[in-house]
Amino acid sequence: MTTFGAIGIASTGMTVDQKWLDAISDNIANLSTVKPTSEAAYQAKYVEASSMTGADGEGTGTQVTGIALGSAAGKLVYEPTNPLADKDGYVRYPDIDMASQMTQLIMAQRGYQANAAVVDRAKDAYTAALQIGRTA
Amino acid sequence: MFDSVSITALNSALDGLSLRQRVIANNVANLQTPGFQAGKVSFESALADAVASGSGAVTPTVAQSLEPTRTDGNNVNLDEETLSNVDTNLRYQLATEAVDNKFTTFAAAMKSSM
Repeated sequence: MTTFGAIGIASTGMTVDQKWLDAISDNIANLSTVKPTSEAAYQAKYVEASSMTGADGEGTGTQVTGIALGSAAGKLVYEPTNPLADKDGYVRYPDIDMASQMTQLIMAQRGYQANAAVVDRAKDAYTAALQIGRTA
Repeated sequence: MFDSVSITALNSALDGLSLRQRVIANNVANLQTPGFQAGKVSFESALADAVASGSGAVTPTVAQSLEPTRTDGNNVNLDEETLSNVDTNLRYQLATEAVDNKFTTFAAAMKSSM
């Protein structure tokens, strides 16, 4: 483990939370992205993360392992006035739940803040370690 | 003199506390990782025994947390991790202070002999 290990580990958590926030904002921005029924709906992005372990068995943080996509079928909505509507008057909306996205947004934000707090405390400890022998 | 029991014990304490800090950082980083089991560092009781037997050297150990798991198989408890992080940080600063005082004493002893 590197000298300033805790800061590096917390930063991996911040990276994952940042990616999570990116995915959520993309999902929310595309909440009302309409597609014709002949095309696939906008697919929600879900970040997949896993823990990392160093050669010595000590945990080294977390990493994004992939992005899972939501339903391509989405949900059909009857909007006959929409220029993209098919002959029966249907268009395709993405199947994204706003409440679930907002919940995840808060979880990602708080996770990011928790990791930032760890960086802050680790910095205090390392600063104290660098003071050893200063007064001697 | 520089490898006295107290210096060795303080060194072990700093090792254990800094490992605990990294394990807490890892637990917090994996707050939302499905199936992740939190780690817990212990060295205090081993260190107390080592000091009592006149050595002061211990290797900290990491065990898995026995906290109940959530539905996603993760058992990181953020309250506990935050509390432990603050506690570990203060203990670490106390230990560095003690090491520093020890060295200040040595420095004073060396000066007075000249």
